[in-house]
Amino acid sequence: MSTQVSPRRVGAAGLRRGEAAAGWLFTAPVIVILGVFLLVPVLMALWVSVSDWAGRGSPLSGSVSFVGADNYSAVLADGGLATKDFGTALRNNAWYVLLVVPLQTALALFLAVLVNRAMLRGRGFFRTAYYFPSVTSSVAITVLWMFLFSASGAVNDVLSWFGLHGPNWFNDPRGILHLILGSESGPSALTQGGMLGISWWDWLSGPSVAMSAYILMAVFTTSGTFMLIFLAGLQNLGADVDEAAMVDGANGWQRFWRITLPQLRPTLFTVLTLGLIGCWQVFDQIYTGTQGAPSKTTLTPAFLSYQTAFKNQEWGQGAAIAFILFVIIVVFTLIQRWVLRDRPVSRRRIRAYQVTAKDGAA
Amino acid sequence: MRLSPKQLTWQIVLYAVLIALALVYVYPFLIQVTTSFKTDQDAASSGISLIPDVWTFAAYERLFAHSDFPSWFVNSAIVTIVVTAGRVFFNSLAGYALARLRFRGRGVVFAALVAVMSVPTVVLLIPKFLVINQLGMFNSYAGMILPLLVDAAGVFIMKNFFESIPVSVEEQARIDGAGTFRLFWSVVLPMATPALVTIVILSFQGSWNELSHFIVSTNDPALTTLTKGVASLASGQLSQGTQYPLKLAAALIMTIPVAVMFFVFQRRIMNSTEGAVKE
Amino acid sequence: MTRHTTRAAYGTGAVLLTSALALTGCGSGFSGDEGGSSSDGLTSSDKPLTVLIGSSGDAETAAVQSALDAWSKESGTEVSLQVASDLSQELSQGFAAGEPADLFYLSTDQIAGFASNGSLKAYGDELTNKDDFYPSLVENFTIDDTFYCAPKDFSTLALVINSTMWADAGLTDADLPKTWDDLAEVAKKLTTPEHVGLAFGAEYQRVGTFMAQAGGGLVKDGAAIADDDANVTALEYVKSHLVDGTFAFAKDVGAGWGGEALGKQSAAMVIEGNWITGAMQNDFSDVEYTVAELPEGPGGKGTLQFTNCWGMAADSPNQQAALDLVEYLTSADSQLAFSKAFGPMPSIKSAADEWTADNEALEPFLAGADYAQFPPNQNGASDVIADFNAQLESLKTADPAQILSSVQSNLEAVVK
Repeated sequence: MSTQVSPRRVGAAGLRRGEAAAGWLFTAPVIVILGVFLLVPVLMALWVSVSDWAGRGSPLSGSVSFVGADNYSAVLADGGLATKDFGTALRNNAWYVLLVVPLQTALALFLAVLVNRAMLRGRGFFRTAYYFPSVTSSVAITVLWMFLFSASGAVNDVLSWFGLHGPNWFNDPRGILHLILGSESGPSALTQGGMLGISWWDWLSGPSVAMSAYILMAVFTTSGTFMLIFLAGLQNLGADVDEAAMVDGANGWQRFWRITLPQLRPTLFTVLTLGLIGCWQVFDQIYTGTQGAPSKTTLTPAFLSYQTAFKNQEWGQGAAIAFILFVIIVVFTLIQRWVLRDRPVSRRRIRAYQVTAKDGAA
Repeated sequence: MRLSPKQLTWQIVLYAVLIALALVYVYPFLIQVTTSFKTDQDAASSGISLIPDVWTFAAYERLFAHSDFPSWFVNSAIVTIVVTAGRVFFNSLAGYALARLRFRGRGVVFAALVAVMSVPTVVLLIPKFLVINQLGMFNSYAGMILPLLVDAAGVFIMKNFFESIPVSVEEQARIDGAGTFRLFWSVVLPMATPALVTIVILSFQGSWNELSHFIVSTNDPALTTLTKGVASLASGQLSQGTQYPLKLAAALIMTIPVAVMFFVFQRRIMNSTEGAVKE
Repeated sequence: MTRHTTRAAYGTGAVLLTSALALTGCGSGFSGDEGGSSSDGLTSSDKPLTVLIGSSGDAETAAVQSALDAWSKESGTEVSLQVASDLSQELSQGFAAGEPADLFYLSTDQIAGFASNGSLKAYGDELTNKDDFYPSLVENFTIDDTFYCAPKDFSTLALVINSTMWADAGLTDADLPKTWDDLAEVAKKLTTPEHVGLAFGAEYQRVGTFMAQAGGGLVKDGAAIADDDANVTALEYVKSHLVDGTFAFAKDVGAGWGGEALGKQSAAMVIEGNWITGAMQNDFSDVEYTVAELPEGPGGKGTLQFTNCWGMAADSPNQQAALDLVEYLTSADSQLAFSKAFGPMPSIKSAADEWTADNEALEPFLAGADYAQFPPNQNGASDVIADFNAQLESLKTADPAQILSSVQSNLEAVVK
């Protein structure tokens, strides 16, 4: 086949003739479907969020008018019920994210490290056991969870073995922090002011007992997926750096924090990003479980957006809430990327290494 | 491998922790199975016991004979099968085009795909409803299936896989005179079986467990899928009181197909997720 | 960008823009701009009717189904019944999609919203039995002097007592509570480790009876009075007994509503409405109960009453048949049959005597109608009540005055 001189040039004219057309044809279904059902909807919702469409007829018809930022201000600034609901939803979801992301990341990492060390025989079984909850639908898990955490359910039974009287989990609206601090109404400094219609004291209430049950459920179901991601990361690490550290006299704990974890940074970044994005969108579980009750402490912005539009017929406000949530997610992702960026090594560190080198060279 | 006593202790501790955690992860599902065979009062009074006072099929009977559960199952099955087949076909087509075919605008399409993947699904809840309405697809199988027929992540998986296939195979086929589609269909696709299986698993899981899309695209009880139906059992007005065995039985049956898929393909599922981190 | 990529970008953009414009054009999913409810004629066609209800249980579903079947046989038009798992959401979605059910349960707090965006057909004046409805019920469904829909029944709240537990505690008819103090005493006697004395849902729709008995309420003479001292007194009373364990919210005793608490014997007394009869008959037939009027508070007797109407969709293609069906469903015979199945009282005056004769045990419900309050029905009031309910769920640890003042500010925004 050595007579084939630069087949590509020949190919450009003859063999690859239909390639451009084929290229467009092959990607056409993807472009059309994603365009129609992902891109256009976003544009349409943007329009609805700045219009007064009331729920009948087409939002693109002539009778629907532009109202500027009215919907956004009703949700963010006006101080009425809509603002309070949004503030409550934001507070609930913020505590959820604050607790779920670190817990699930830490647990996933812990499980990954443990499973990695287990002898090959048991590894498959444990991987399967920890990953199985992630496979089930959130609807099925929520149903199961509501049973386990009911007033006479398994969790309260276990707590009673330790002499504790478990609460009526999904019906208890009291905030965890308020419970720990032991006071029902906070200091007046905190109950006076507030943001988005919620007093500072209420912002600091922590997740409610009901929300805590959801937090535990989230950790239970997603730790398996992230464990797999960490496992892959761990298995990609070369053993030589670790061995060199062992020779230098570092113990297991030091090796984990100084050697393994920094090398896992890209994996950590992936897990944290996925965790953040997922947590800010929690909807399925709330819809299936408590629908915002008790006392609106399990209300989340995603569910509020749905409720405002589909139940209260405030489509403009519902769309506005969805976009505000979009911005929040983007902001958090950017913050997290900034926090985990590769920073240049500080001068102090460099000097430390230079000293060592001098000693070593001597 | 002989271990020192200290290492042996650590090994025992390690396994003890692993087993304890595995128990915590598995026990809830055992409770689910056994409670579905209990009576309502038994379930409400003894939450943690795995042994019913009286074994009864009442929950299952009520589920299959006196509710719309069978139709929910059928609807879910229809949607899942069509969506899975569609995704396998369309994702691989687009993935191949992005990986191998040279056409103007390939970069733009790829960039658009990445951008689309970053839009969180919650933002799309209301808008998808509006678009499905405009197209007159509300309350129809088309409205339930079409929007799910393609997913950007699947295109990525296929694209990454096709890029790893050596070009020489295709060059050979082209020289032998194959047109682009035949090249794709008869030469490249058969080599992509591992990736295709991954797409099948992910699509099956994704569409079987999907909830919010079905909430916005249908209203008609005849089109209710398993997820929507079980959710309404749990919290809607259909939840007459706390009939735990019924709800748990429904959730259990709903989980069985995905669980079966999982156990059959588990090695591949776990490897594909691990592969996702290699960027 | 290179020239190729720029052109490609334009190309992709053009494709998407075209499809967006095409979508504007083929708005086939949405109905056209038929603003408002036209009183000029009812639509008519051969299409089958769909009826959407929010059922209180199997008893109600079965009763409605058999009524629909009977009418269907008589008239020859097919009717299908849909039971909603979330009525307000399914209605909103149906209206937005242009595919609503033809007839549906419509409550007083939803009518204002749906009427204002033109989803409803006002057929009240076309009804042949228009004058037979109780005026107070008609008033609830009249907006801007237009009578929108036919009230289908009404119910009041009363005290429903487990007769066996009552007798076991050594109580007799003479002990039926007449005042708040009586109620507290009786509840205390009936509270045991197995069951609580009095249970009710954690919502204004139940706790509001105490507010009415104290002489308060939510809206009086068109003005919001939520922070009135009478209401504070009422909530303090309820809170004190929630705390001492003689009263409880239904969900705290493991029940979804008062009827379930009574049926599962986790409560000796509950505050519920007529619909409890159907549930007790169907699901808890071994529990014997009696109905008594709620006690008087500092402001006299008070209770709440509820009514729903048969809403008709403006987009319905077969409104003529729907009207016919409504007249059938609100006739004396149908309403008495419904009442027998799940308890509510007929909305027409002509059926009152027969109902009283047939249902002596349920007489306290009818007696309540004389002094019952309706929940406010202004546009947006249902959200305020939902928020009130959310706060009531924490009544045990909350400050009643604070709850009521927030309800007052929300209510003032709505009652203009």
